[in-house]
Amino acid sequence: MKHLLLVVLAGVAAGLLANFAWFGAHRPARGDNLDAQLAWMQESLQLSPAQFARIKALHEKSGPRLLALAAQVGRMREEFAAFERERQMVGQIDFLEFARFVEQRRNVDRECAESTRRLILAASAVMNPQQRERYLALLDPAFKAAGPDTLN
Amino acid sequence: MHAPPDPLDHLFERWRDAPPLLPGPLAPEVWRRIALGEPVVRPSLLARIEAVFARPSFAVAFVTACMLLGLFIAEMRLSRLQAERNAQLALSYLHLIDPLLDGSAHRGVTAAPRS
Repeated sequence: MKHLLLVVLAGVAAGLLANFAWFGAHRPARGDNLDAQLAWMQESLQLSPAQFARIKALHEKSGPRLLALAAQVGRMREEFAAFERERQMVGQIDFLEFARFVEQRRNVDRECAESTRRLILAASAVMNPQQRERYLALLDPAFKAAGPDTLN
Repeated sequence: MHAPPDPLDHLFERWRDAPPLLPGPLAPEVWRRIALGEPVVRPSLLARIEAVFARPSFAVAFVTACMLLGLFIAEMRLSRLQAERNAQLALSYLHLIDPLLDGSAHRGVTAAPRS
């Protein structure tokens, strides 16, 4: 009985040790910044070092502009929410102001779409056809949200 | 007058009808019949398991199998974690390159037609 227990315990210990050691050694790194995203792209698309360097430069160049646009979009969402609150509380809104807001929002949307389109086209141009196809498939949700003609 | 039947006559009759002797050595057949007559003592399940685990070859194989199972489960956990991580990175990348992605639901109100 003692021998049986000893062997079973040794097996369980060996299994747990192997499990935690392997998991700890191969656990994917945390992080959600541009470097992590680019490393993910490099692995997913199997980019060569030259392609990776070019794509990294493209993203670093357009990153600040896109972040600024994202902040602007966030502000405009808040503005839109304020209009909506006003409409619900007072029952009316300043239509001239709202028209200006709509126009401004259209311009921001256009600029966002154009920036995204430029970045995608520039990054795609660095890739070979197979990588491009895979890249565009990864971006499919963005295309669907952006509309069917984003890259046309 | 008939003489009374001899009791040996009956035995002689039976001997005449007895089956012929078995070919081959007699001892194995004798032991087989003895074994059939003896009650079989079966060991309990625990005793049999103990006997199997007492063999060093089986013990080594068992520990190795446990290690491989541990590695397999770790690989499955890693695979699932990697898939989640990839999905998260893909989403954050989409948010980076498309500032409008979050507000796609509001675009119908204010968005300009895209060129």
